[in-house]
This record gives sequence, C-alpha cells and structure tokens, in this order.
Amino acid sequence: MHNWGQYIPGNSIIHKLDPRIKIVSVICLSVFVLGADRDAGLLLSGFMIVVIVLSRVTFRRVIESLRPFMIFFILLFSLHFLFTDGTPIMESAFGGLSITYEGFYMGMYITWQFMFLVTGASILTMTTAPSDLISGIEGILRPLRIFGIPTHDIAVMLSLALRFVPTFLEEVDRIKKAQMARGGTFKKGRIIKKIKNIASLMLPLVLSSFRRAEETATAMEGRGYKRGPRTYLRALRMSSADYAALVLMIVFMAGVQLLHF
Amino acid sequence: MIKVEDVTFRYTRSDEPVLNRINMTIDRGEYVGIVGPNGCGKTTLVHHLNALLYPTGGRVSVDGMNTDDESSVEEIRRRVGMVFQNPDNQIVGMTVEEDVAFGPGNLELPSREIRRRVDESLAAVGLKNHATRLPHTLSGGEKRLVSIAGVLAMEPQYIIFDEPTSYLDPSGRDRVLSIIRGINEQGIAIIHITHNMDEIVDASTIVVMDEGRILFTGSPKEVFGRVERMKSLKLDIPVATDLAWRLKQRGEDIRTDILTIDEACVEILGRLKNPPVS
Repeated sequence: MHNWGQYIPGNSIIHKLDPRIKIVSVICLSVFVLGADRDAGLLLSGFMIVVIVLSRVTFRRVIESLRPFMIFFILLFSLHFLFTDGTPIMESAFGGLSITYEGFYMGMYITWQFMFLVTGASILTMTTAPSDLISGIEGILRPLRIFGIPTHDIAVMLSLALRFVPTFLEEVDRIKKAQMARGGTFKKGRIIKKIKNIASLMLPLVLSSFRRAEETATAMEGRGYKRGPRTYLRALRMSSADYAALVLMIVFMAGVQLLHF
Repeated sequence: MIKVEDVTFRYTRSDEPVLNRINMTIDRGEYVGIVGPNGCGKTTLVHHLNALLYPTGGRVSVDGMNTDDESSVEEIRRRVGMVFQNPDNQIVGMTVEEDVAFGPGNLELPSREIRRRVDESLAAVGLKNHATRLPHTLSGGEKRLVSIAGVLAMEPQYIIFDEPTSYLDPSGRDRVLSIIRGINEQGIAIIHITHNMDEIVDASTIVVMDEGRILFTGSPKEVFGRVERMKSLKLDIPVATDLAWRLKQRGEDIRTDILTIDEACVEILGRLKNPPVS
C-alpha cells in the first residue's frame, strides 16, 4: 500500500529535472486547466500523458493516486450531471430530475479538471524526493528574501516537519498502547467517549512534543545551526536539459494560449 | 585544549548550584570518561564545553576561545561536537545523508565539500549503503551511528558522547564503542559520559562527579583502585576489578588493579597453574 503521491525513486528525465521547474510547471498547468476549453483541454491532457510516459511512473500508479479522490470525482460529476439545465437526454430520470447533454458535458469537464490537478500534483511528488521538493520551494521563494522573508528558515522548518511526521505517528501509537495496557479502550464507546479518548491521547502527545522540540533545538544549536543562510548537500543548478524543459514549457503554454484566440 | 576554570552554574539565582567550582582540562587527543550518579551534573557540565550553556561563575575556553564570546561560539561548536543521549531527537534530516549534511550546511560549505564529508563520515561509521534511508526506518543502533556521522562531518577536534550506549543491544554497543575508539585513534579527543565502567577502562582520564562537584580524577587504574570509595558513591566498578577485589576480600593475595576480563583471566590462570607458596 502506497501513500498518495509517495516518491518513487527513479532516473527518468522528469526525475532529473530541476524541482523549481517542476513546481512552477505544475502551478502554471493547473492555472491553464482551470480556464481550458475543449481543444486546450485535449492538448493539456496529451501533454500530461507525455510527461507520465517520460517519468516512467506506471499508469497503474497514477490511477492508484487518483483513487482516494474517487468519491469527490463521483460527487462532482453527479452534481453537474443532475443539476444542469439544457437539452434533456432523459426527462425525469431520477425522481423528477432530468439529465441533460450539457450536464453530462459539464460533469465530465469538471471531473477532468480535478483529475488533472491531482495527477499533476502526484506526478510532481512521485518524481521529486521530498528534500528536493523543499529546496525547490526554497529556491522559488528566494527572491522574497529582499522583503525580509526568511526563506532558509522556512525550508528548515518544512523539512523538520516532514522528518518528524513518522516519529509523531509512532508516538501516538506508543501512548495508545501505554493507555491500553492500563485498561484504556479506543475502539468501543459512543462519540463522547471517543472524543475523551482522543483528548487523553493529545495531552501526552503535546507534552512530549514540546520536550522533543526543546531537545531537537538544543541538538541543532550544538551542530552549529543559526538562522539565516546555509548551504545544502545538493545545490540546485540549472542544467541545459532544465533550460530546454523551461523553453519547451513556455512554448507549449504560449501555444495553448494562442489557441484561445 | 578545553579549559574549565572554577565553573559554577545555576539555572536561577536562588537555586542550588548544579555545578560547583569545577576545574578540569581536556587535552587534544585525550580520552576522558565522566562518571557519577544521575543528576550529578555530568550533562550540564558537558553542555558548557560547546557553549550550549554558559557558566554562572568562572570560565570555559576551547583552544583559547572563551565560550562567553559571542563571536567564537560558531567555531567552538564546530570544534566540539556533541552526540546527545537520545538520537531520535537529534536527527533532523529527511534522509540519512541529509542529516549528516546538516552541520556542514550550517558552516555554509560548498555542496562538493559537503558531499565529500557526508560520504567520508558515513563510511567511517559503516553506513555507506544507507545514505538515502529515512530516519524512522533505522534501528536504534543505526540512529546512533547517524548522529555520530553527523558530528564527524563537522571535522571536530573534540567529541562529547553523552551515554552513547544507552538503549542499545550488545552488538550495537560494541559497534559504537569500537567507532569511538577509532575516532580517538585519529587524534580526536573524546569526552565520554557513561554508567558502564567497562566502557571506559581504556580512557586516559576518568573524572568522578557527585552533586555538582568533581570528587576525584585519575587514570582508570587509580580511580577503580578506590573500590570502597566508588561503592560508597553507589557507582559501579568494572566487573573484572570487582571480581579481583572480592577475591582479595576473601583472603586471596591477588592484584586488584585489574580492569578487563582478559587481565583477570591471566591473573587467575597464573595463580591456578603456579599457586603462590604460602
């Protein structure tokens, strides 16, 4: 079982692209998708399929990453399908609601948009190691430093947060087991009981994370951490392939844009 | 050289001092063991050595730089590395190699140099093939090794180990201890806090602390030779020393300056083969 959009180590062109380009591309594509008409939509879908093929992420994995959102897709589709006025396919199909060609089209369209956004984001995270993702974000935010925004510190905070997620999950499990060992139950009971149970988990968790935070801060200081500039194991440097990809993206998006007129 | 001169430390002015007029020096390449009951101030003392805490009275200097001097704190922390008790909270990188790169990154070294140091440090602790693993998938022993590699990547002159073998199984403990010894052989001074005396029998100096004071200092033979004093402090002595001492208590005329099981074997076997003429 894989988590949504979990990084899949690989060596494809997409894997090797500069994370900054990937992030910016995903953002631009998403904006385009929201305003796309039918032709642009086809182009964008084609583009996305090419990217997926190049990334060597199997289509099965892409579909798996869509699965958690299935309920939203169905909901979005049916809302438009059932509540859009237009040329009816069938009158009073579902208890007085008529389904229309326009509704079908709108439903498909909205669902496609949403699927595209999710696919774009998951291809990004599947082909980019979390640490590269963070240095990419830091790289994109870097110009904001002139406004006094501490981008280096933000990057450290993000990576610390990601680093400690599994640790916190383990901690929750440990606290839960410790309470179960003393007769606590977590499965049974009514809502009120369940809320109380969660409270009894949260308190020790919060306390222990404060202790942890303090120790971590001391350890970071001991390893010479100070706010402000620092360097990284992998420096982001644009290769010629990255520039080529950038130009390609710009040309593609300009093409899609021109198609509108 | 690290010099601790007349250091007193209290958390607030009214508190009892946690450290009380401590004096000690640590030379380059030395191996110092620090022992004492829980709460005696061992950890507080070593936190003074790399400017994580500042003395309330007295002064601490590292290679001539005073830890009070704001401008030398960075260099002091580079020279004096610290491996904390709980490796879980000390690993900050999302992968093993990124954690090791954290310190050199703080020194603002170029990426090539960081890469070199990361590879060397991971090789030194035998984790070369685990560079891209995620911290939470490591065993307790491996986490400890990662935290050691993270300190080595700073290329320090002194490394403080605060109970480096706690929570480890015997094989993990042996691995960590042999790495510490290897680091010392490269000329890096070791300051090793422990409760297990067998770990520091080859230290150059042992410091015994109680209630914020240094009670006595000496070579392992000198310190563990004071068996009764150690026992009155509720401190352990090496198993072999204890054995020799108990045999002596029972009237056997045996050397008691024995520190390791090997030495004990030699001494006892010698006696079994040629019993001393009484």
